[in-house]
Amino acid sequence: MPLNAAGQDIPETVAGRPLRPFQGAFATVPQGRKYGGPLKTCRPGANKVVPSLEEAIRNSGLSDGMTISFHHSFRNGDLLVLKVVEICDRLGIRDLRLYPTALFPCHEGLIPYIEKDVVTRIEGSMNGPVGAFVSQGGKLAEPAVLRSHGGRWRAAECGEVVIDVAFIAAPCSDPHGNANGLFGSNPCGPISFSVIDSWVAEHVIVVTDSLVPYPAIPPEIEQGYVDQVALVDRVGDPTGIVSGTLRVTRSPTQLRIARLAVDAVLAAGLVREGMGFQAGAGGISLAATDFLAREMKRHGVKAAFAIGGVTRFLVDMLREGLVEVILDGQAFDPESITSLREDTRHQIITPGFYADYNSLGCATYMLDFAFLGGTEVDLEFNVNVNTHSDGQLLHGIGGHQDVAAGAKVTVITIPTIRGRIPTIRERVTTVTTPGEVVDLVVTERGVAVNPRRPELAEDLRRAGLPVKSLEELRAEAERLVGEGKSPLFGDEVVAVIQWRDGTVIDVVRKVEGWA
Amino acid sequence: MEVLREARCGSEDRSDALVAVRPGPGLRIEVSSKTGPMFAERIREVVEEVLGRYGVAEAEVEVREQGAYDHVIAARLEGALYRAGGGGEAFHRPLEPATPRQGTPRDRLRRTRLYVPGNNARLLAFCDTFGPDCLLLDLEDAVPPEEKDAARFLVRQVLATLEFGDTELWVRINPLDRGGEEDLRVVLGGRPHGVCLPKAETPVEITRLAGLLYELEGRYGLPWRVWVMPIIESPKGVAQAAEIAQASERVVCLAFGAEDYTREVGCSRDWEALLWARSQLVAAAKAAGVQASDTVYAALEDEAGLREEVRRAKALGFDGKGVIHPLQIGPVHEEFAPTPEEVRWAKGVVQAAAEAQAQGKGAATYEGKMVDRPVLERAKRLLALAKVMKLEVGDAS
Repeated sequence: MPLNAAGQDIPETVAGRPLRPFQGAFATVPQGRKYGGPLKTCRPGANKVVPSLEEAIRNSGLSDGMTISFHHSFRNGDLLVLKVVEICDRLGIRDLRLYPTALFPCHEGLIPYIEKDVVTRIEGSMNGPVGAFVSQGGKLAEPAVLRSHGGRWRAAECGEVVIDVAFIAAPCSDPHGNANGLFGSNPCGPISFSVIDSWVAEHVIVVTDSLVPYPAIPPEIEQGYVDQVALVDRVGDPTGIVSGTLRVTRSPTQLRIARLAVDAVLAAGLVREGMGFQAGAGGISLAATDFLAREMKRHGVKAAFAIGGVTRFLVDMLREGLVEVILDGQAFDPESITSLREDTRHQIITPGFYADYNSLGCATYMLDFAFLGGTEVDLEFNVNVNTHSDGQLLHGIGGHQDVAAGAKVTVITIPTIRGRIPTIRERVTTVTTPGEVVDLVVTERGVAVNPRRPELAEDLRRAGLPVKSLEELRAEAERLVGEGKSPLFGDEVVAVIQWRDGTVIDVVRKVEGWA
Repeated sequence: MEVLREARCGSEDRSDALVAVRPGPGLRIEVSSKTGPMFAERIREVVEEVLGRYGVAEAEVEVREQGAYDHVIAARLEGALYRAGGGGEAFHRPLEPATPRQGTPRDRLRRTRLYVPGNNARLLAFCDTFGPDCLLLDLEDAVPPEEKDAARFLVRQVLATLEFGDTELWVRINPLDRGGEEDLRVVLGGRPHGVCLPKAETPVEITRLAGLLYELEGRYGLPWRVWVMPIIESPKGVAQAAEIAQASERVVCLAFGAEDYTREVGCSRDWEALLWARSQLVAAAKAAGVQASDTVYAALEDEAGLREEVRRAKALGFDGKGVIHPLQIGPVHEEFAPTPEEVRWAKGVVQAAAEAQAQGKGAATYEGKMVDRPVLERAKRLLALAKVMKLEVGDAS
């Protein structure tokens, strides 16, 4: 088996389809033209509104073997995926391929439908139980395919994945199908993940519980792409969008890592007027955002823009004038939805604008620095986001690859030990993001600088920060807990991890034992 | 030793382990790990090592761990064995140090003393990375009476295993006649730099503690003299503070504890009500040539309040402050740093004195004020402090 540019064994084919091995972060030259949905028309007075989801599904012509797509803007409060699958089961439809942006623990109820072959393939991120289930192998007809946010947009845009029916949970829609996620009785924030689905799908169903008079603004999803507007009692549970904690962590370790991460970007001279940054919603990221805001105030520095996952911490920075513009692809709390409605400096962006490899511009390419997480890092600075050290597939890629590839300085924040598992490994269990796009690894025991960036190491040392090699950090952790056994993988591939350009950076194999 | 009865130690909290031991026959070890098979073998090795060290040949050992580090599992097993066999000399032997450690100078920086509960495996897990000047592993108020024995073994393992860099390591023991002596016999085997004695009220307690330390240092082969930090937290203690500070050469710092003091006096816990006690304590410490460390600031969320209290304590002459969360360390260290104005003044004073000496003048003046010996010494001390804190001092120092 050939090794790809990240040094991973990639089979030549999976389920009869050839895999293109990863060649390097920016090696792929795109070929061909964009894929588009069918040409359609409608007449004045046409009625798109149907009173039930089941009727809309019948109208769509959805049948065995087709691909259906969803966004995950309701995150753990999504109700639509299970509802659609349950109706399909009732209608006797089998062998569906799911193309969600991501699945969450709330989708555990999918497992019985996988077992009875209603759903046989999944191409999308899996956070939690469905991923664990897939890891056991033999459950899906084909291995799952995981893509980054940018990668999923690209795959739909170029026709790598053809969507038969796009289901778009819309907190607010008008009868003609203009839809957004900001208004209505159950707002979830941007639903822009589904914009590409609406452009390319054979059939598009907007699903809403809040039908408003024409025109619904802003039209994140546009009327011209929408076949039907289906009414449901409740489109999703907005309390599920809240990610992690809503207050800054008290964990001393997380705080120390966040503090070191901010000290590192300060030392590197990246905290300056007009900068752009991304910080997520995890415990360390929130704390880092908090420290960063304080340092910006102290140094009198304003950021030109910040990219979310947006929380009220970022919204506060916008209100205080520390950030000029927020580019928002996903809302993580109600405050950020309010801000999206009221503040024109807080803008919705699509994953295409954010991160599409096959495009002439990405917001992530404008980032000066970004704080990202991971489950493991290895001595080559490769980062694993998808699997745990026991081989279980438990997380999606999110924007990890897109941001790491784009930001001038990519900072991975990670404790050296989680539970009692050391996170800095000789080799990561799964390569999600290659070391070539990772610059700093910040732990509670010190900062490791990628040898590709000697000038960064120099800056950090001069500022008195504890610069250590990954080997040293690994040794410190393993002294306390040992290395532990590693899972033994069989040949069966349960998931394919794509790089954002569509090549394969790694595959996840079924765990057969321990060595 | 022999396992006489069933006993258990530890908990099923995150980062902890629950270890049960039962009498034999034979040796049986059962491990259930949160991480599944990943570390089961390694944990078994840890158990075998501890059983070997205590000469246990027959026992049934059950380990249920929730992400506990090796040394936590070892400590929980020691605790279970202690409870199962009734203690004895075997539990008083020093542990093999995992890393080299040096003694500390008596006048080193002690801006912060961070309290960490001695029986909380989760908080202790990363305590080597917090970076206070003094880390204070607490066997007293933070540990309930029925867990004192378990905490001793955990603290000893933490001290022996982790590497703490520049941090000075302290253990707050219980009062000597309420378990403190047994505390010492166990935890000194982990090589701390110092021992905090709570509720210090008389110089006699200090001399008794010093005697015990002398005996145990010799027996455990400790290569340095263990320092003592009496905590003054009662009106009686404040009244005797000077005698306490002078009771032993080992005393390097007097610490103030406001909670008990406030309760016993019946005063409020505000600045004015405690001002006399604080002033008294600082004067007593300085009269004995030792440092003074202020009480903790309990409102964790209130950084501005913490900074204000540190500024006031510093103005009174305190050298450090107790902290209860690593988050408080940064602000306290910053507040104890000399201000740029102080550094400028100190450099001017030192320079003026040097010039006066070069010109053979008896007395120097700086900015119209006479520079006598105490002023010069204060300036020199400020510059030394600034240098240790890596502030920009230039070549004047």
